[in-house]
Amino acid sequence: MIGVFVCQCGTNIAATVSTDRVVQAAKSMLGVVHAESIQYTCSDPGQRAIIDAIQQKGLTRVVMAGCSPRMHEITFRRAIGRAGMNPFMLEMVNIREQCSWIHSGIDETTEKAIDLVRKGVARVRRQKPLQPGSSPVARRALVIGAGVAGIQAALDIADAGIPVTLVEKSPTIGGNMARLDKTFPTLDCSSCILTPRMVEVKQHENIKLMVNSEVEKVRGYIGNFEIDIRKKASCVIEEKCTGCLICQEKCPSKAPDDFNACAGESKAISIPFPQAVPLVASLRKEYCRLFISGKCSVCQKVCPADAIDYGQEDTVVTEKFGAVVVATGFGLYDWKQSYPTYGMGMYPDVINALKYERLLSASGPTGGHIERPSDGKEPRDIVFISCIGSRDESVGRPQCCSIGCMYMAKQAILTKEHIPDSQSYIFYIDVRAAGKGYDEFARRAQTDFGAIYIRGRVGKIYPRGGKLVVMGTDTLAGDQVEIEADLVVLATGLTPAEGAGGLARRLNISTDGQGFMAEGHPKLKPVETNTGGVFLAGACQGPKDIPASVAQAGAAAAKVIGLLSREEIETSPMVAEVNQLKCTGCFKCRDVCPYGAIENQDAMGGQVAHVIASLCQGCGLCNVACPPGVISLKGYTDNQLIAEVVEVLR
Amino acid sequence: MINLSQTVKEGAAVVAEIERRSGQRITACLQCGRCTSTCVAAFAFDYPPHRLMHLLQIGLVEEVLRSETAQLCLDCMTCSMRCPVKIDVAGVIETAKAIADEAGLRDTEPNLRLFRRGFLNNVCRHGRLHETTLLLWFNLRTGKLTNDLSLAPLLLRKKKVRIFPPRIKNLRQVRRLFQQVNGSAGPPR
Repeated sequence: MIGVFVCQCGTNIAATVSTDRVVQAAKSMLGVVHAESIQYTCSDPGQRAIIDAIQQKGLTRVVMAGCSPRMHEITFRRAIGRAGMNPFMLEMVNIREQCSWIHSGIDETTEKAIDLVRKGVARVRRQKPLQPGSSPVARRALVIGAGVAGIQAALDIADAGIPVTLVEKSPTIGGNMARLDKTFPTLDCSSCILTPRMVEVKQHENIKLMVNSEVEKVRGYIGNFEIDIRKKASCVIEEKCTGCLICQEKCPSKAPDDFNACAGESKAISIPFPQAVPLVASLRKEYCRLFISGKCSVCQKVCPADAIDYGQEDTVVTEKFGAVVVATGFGLYDWKQSYPTYGMGMYPDVINALKYERLLSASGPTGGHIERPSDGKEPRDIVFISCIGSRDESVGRPQCCSIGCMYMAKQAILTKEHIPDSQSYIFYIDVRAAGKGYDEFARRAQTDFGAIYIRGRVGKIYPRGGKLVVMGTDTLAGDQVEIEADLVVLATGLTPAEGAGGLARRLNISTDGQGFMAEGHPKLKPVETNTGGVFLAGACQGPKDIPASVAQAGAAAAKVIGLLSREEIETSPMVAEVNQLKCTGCFKCRDVCPYGAIENQDAMGGQVAHVIASLCQGCGLCNVACPPGVISLKGYTDNQLIAEVVEVLR
Repeated sequence: MINLSQTVKEGAAVVAEIERRSGQRITACLQCGRCTSTCVAAFAFDYPPHRLMHLLQIGLVEEVLRSETAQLCLDCMTCSMRCPVKIDVAGVIETAKAIADEAGLRDTEPNLRLFRRGFLNNVCRHGRLHETTLLLWFNLRTGKLTNDLSLAPLLLRKKKVRIFPPRIKNLRQVRRLFQQVNGSAGPPR
């Protein structure tokens, strides 16, 4: 008892497919008892017509010839469900995207539509009713990365009463935002707006904060992740440390100051910055004199809280989570190799913008006095160069960094505020300032703060008599230009954070060409990933500014709260199924499964394969790999697929 | 090759002077080019208006003051009307013209200066332009008496020029305008 409904989709289909002829042809197909053409099947009257036909003619299977199943399969499943049928007794036949839209002659297009409908009828005839499964949900969320996006997501989820574990690989939370001096376009002091949120994280009863920690292993699936988190030894007992900084003062081993983008120097045992959360020292063994030469232990002697423990070892915590938010943020493009004409890092006064940000910051290594790295002099002429490692296919990075124009304008404004008789020059390709209040801000850098914008890329930088000569072009003046600069600041593009690729593989989520984590759909699923239960927030998904990161974090949190507010979640029934009677136990299926959805099971007197239904994504790889051919995908069984092929070739 | 660190510093004083006298902000120019798009005389300029604005932005004042543009601009004000950031571009050019005049930079085209003087004198005398006396005056001063004379019959027949000067209702008010601008009783220099 098959019903065939042919959608006209206005003229989308009807213009090139004679839907009446398709209906006539369908009526003669085996098992078809009803066929009709409807102008807009997805509309309310269209759906009602389907429901009426099901109930009046007693249909048991439905073929919907219309748009792509990606568009409306769910709509029609629900409709036939409302009519009392099993929602999975539906076959969507795509006669729009793959037929009417791409062909022109009515006769040929109609013929193809009929072929496709015949194929769908053959398949639905062999369809069995399916029941979606369900699995319980672990009511705890994991947020990976504690920059502004991770902090926001963790707070939002925790405020909804759901326990959160916030994992951060560095010794403090705050991420890149904590390193910024001011923020565009309002020039808010970055730490003034971030620090209260960091403290809130520390104090929140629903947030468990784990710094110096990384996600090591991920098992499980949506609602039921089981995740190993490695807490790296910091040689400091977190509970005892009071953050008095005596150890840092007395420590004889110098170490690079990562927090200050290496603008200053730090010690082997240190607290990255005064507002760090948690305010706890941590020791970097690779720089520590004790671990290098075996003699020192000064910090242990001076620590008034007895918090130093050189024997501390990594610990691995395993916890269950219902959902994961990835908020690993960004790193900066390393320009040195790709831009040899800018000195490859040989000139100390050619620096990236994050380092300049630390020079501008009152809590930075220079206390907010701009001093150029080479000789500590206050610069007068400062050149900013945009699009370093952005919009540059020659270094394989065609994308826009999306924040460079704005932070250059901000830094030019701050420079003028710090040094009133300074002159900033900004080399740009376009000024991209699309956010709210952004263009006005970038314009103010020119009109109120005297920054001179030069349209053109810089060709070369070379030193001459204590200055750096910047050779560029001014395409608006149509001539080459030269500037004798004291300091050159490069607006380097954003890359995924270090280690993001490995994390993406562990979480089984895809990444784009640049290594940023891929969202589920560029428009309609901006925070989801292709793996259920894993969400994205902030610059790990692509270059973003603070407002966008915070907004995305809130959206990801809403998704997590929605997911974890359920006791159980419905899983797709279109999953693989093993005929365990015939399974030989070779486990080729388990090896090819990209989702880890196949496990060994003791059954049938031996080890056989078993599909964890809630984990299976229905990709079908195991079907192909299985030597005896005893795994099949529900709803896509071999005999269904073969029947389709036979009908199309007829 | 433009040495920006030099031009910006050296040009700063003149740019500031132009900004002060014209009341316009050179830095506000977006370089959108709408002024040039609407300019009726740009075909004759060495630098189109938007380029002139940019030259000021990067301190190339010498080029601007010596430019033909500053001399040939018709002051039709279309650019000022249409500027999206409301810069009075014609006012900026006019100011550059005046500064160039004062600095004696504009000796490349003395006839232009002469014509401009004659034009304003004429307007001051008659209250509005009387082309016939302007042309006669200009030809006398330049010594080219027959210049454009062949056009005279056609212009007279089509009533584009008149033999007798026009009369306006309140000549005194026009003269007062000139006084206000020039600060002295007489017509412009």
